[in-house]
Amino acid sequence: MSMTPIALAASTSAPASSDTLPRGASGFPSPADDYREAPLDLHHHLVRRPASTFFMRLEGDDHRHAGLHHGDLLVIDRAISPRPGHWLVAAIDGELSVLHLERREAQLYLAPSRPGLATLPFEADDDRLWGVICYAIHALPAMGEEPAEPSCLR
Amino acid sequence: MFALIDCNNFYAACERLFEPRLEGVPVGVLSNNDGCVIARSEEFKALDIPMGIPTHKIDPALRRRVVLKSSNYTLYGDLSARVQQVLARQVPTLEPYSIDECFLDLRGMQEDWHALGARLVRSVAREVGLPVSIGIAPTRTLAKLANRQAKTQPTRPQVCVWQSADAPELAAHLARLSPREVWGVGERLNARLAGMGVLTAAALRETPDSELRRRFSVVLARTATELNGHPCLSMSDLETPRRSILCSRSFGRPLRDHNALAGALRHHCQRAGEKLRRDAMQASAIGVYMRTNPHHAGTFRHACEWTALPFPSADTQQLNRAAQRLLARLWQPAAYQKLGVMLTELTPRQQSQTTLFDGAEPARREALMEAWDAIRARYGRQALTLGPQPSDAPWQMNSAYRSACYTTRWDELPRARAR
Repeated sequence: MSMTPIALAASTSAPASSDTLPRGASGFPSPADDYREAPLDLHHHLVRRPASTFFMRLEGDDHRHAGLHHGDLLVIDRAISPRPGHWLVAAIDGELSVLHLERREAQLYLAPSRPGLATLPFEADDDRLWGVICYAIHALPAMGEEPAEPSCLR
Repeated sequence: MFALIDCNNFYAACERLFEPRLEGVPVGVLSNNDGCVIARSEEFKALDIPMGIPTHKIDPALRRRVVLKSSNYTLYGDLSARVQQVLARQVPTLEPYSIDECFLDLRGMQEDWHALGARLVRSVAREVGLPVSIGIAPTRTLAKLANRQAKTQPTRPQVCVWQSADAPELAAHLARLSPREVWGVGERLNARLAGMGVLTAAALRETPDSELRRRFSVVLARTATELNGHPCLSMSDLETPRRSILCSRSFGRPLRDHNALAGALRHHCQRAGEKLRRDAMQASAIGVYMRTNPHHAGTFRHACEWTALPFPSADTQQLNRAAQRLLARLWQPAAYQKLGVMLTELTPRQQSQTTLFDGAEPARREALMEAWDAIRARYGRQALTLGPQPSDAPWQMNSAYRSACYTTRWDELPRARAR
């Protein structure tokens, strides 16, 4: 049994082998065979480092101005070093939280979007850091707010 | 050189990774069915709640101060695989030892071992988010002891290196250590060693090889050689191959009905078959046992029967057919609390051997089981079952406090709040 969603998703793309491609009814090989390439795999595109990549779901609309919406699928790679301008997941008040990392003068801050929340000074190896967000996948209206995943992928 | 890497309080650490509010809180993890405590965080240990204590026996006053979690092997398994991936990238050979430990074979590497150890520990903490400790020494046996030593260090990263078997700090350590603490020395062996005056690990490694071979075993002689810094044990020396498989479970409420018991038995046969095939084994004999609750009034009933399979098999349907025949023979009206299936006489799986009376087209049966496992791995365990198996059936696992399968299920992803 495979434990990682990564392995499951990767296995959905069939290996492209000219030995297994269906031939035309006439028995002649398809002239496209020589040009066959592996199909594009979105999972591999989004997940460069499977061991350190995690998915989360964004809760709340406070970052809507930055294009981050409630229900977006976040792709987080813990191996990325945080830099100013990055969006981070950090453990704040015992809760996984999404904030923007900003530099003001020489100091780094975790900047909230929600009015009334204070900015938090951030150290280089801050142990509140959970990971750096590399993609936020947003479903458009055709998919509804929170895309229902096909039940076969559960 | 060899290293042993061990995840500190692994199950509790996995629970904390996605629930930061558990940081600093005493966390206990419960066995299958929430029966007893099988893993504890440091804070939980500090409350003196012992390992293995039945959940209902925890003092109610303490119970309110701790967080209990059902075990979530899906989550632990995924994180364990990630830890191994991160380590395997950085060293020549990694040998998994258990869900939370692995050996690294560092032979051929020329390194500052302290620096390497610190780098490995940091990479796991950063990339997977779990605390690990590492022991590095000339043999696996010494690396395991070094790892234990590393765990006692108050400072991070927890790294303990013994450059050579003659290192003075190692000699001092072994002189204080009971042989019982050495990898592969059990309670009984320890008692026999004590009988001949071998009371410390240092004394064990000074005992002549010939004497250990004569009075004990080759394996113990090799253990002593390893304590002296010469690698000679492989992982397989210390692992006895699995000779039997047991799948059983207590029911949430007693079952009387033969049909309901048959459903539970199908469920267990399905799991037993999967375990067999995962280990590339086949079984020659199958047993079924069932019992009523010994603590309840009424006559206690315990029944168990074995049968040989017509030929060694790892085929779920063959196992189930044999088990259902046993159940039909054993069943009498009673309120059963537990039912189990046992497989024994396990041997490595042979390629399809046709017997005269087989006629089951073995190659096709094997292909069927392969497809079965693949479908369940890809589409989930509920996608394909042997007969109906509702998820709320009384033989399904009781896990009232299970955390989400954060890394393997789309509908259980962790939530991160916008601030």
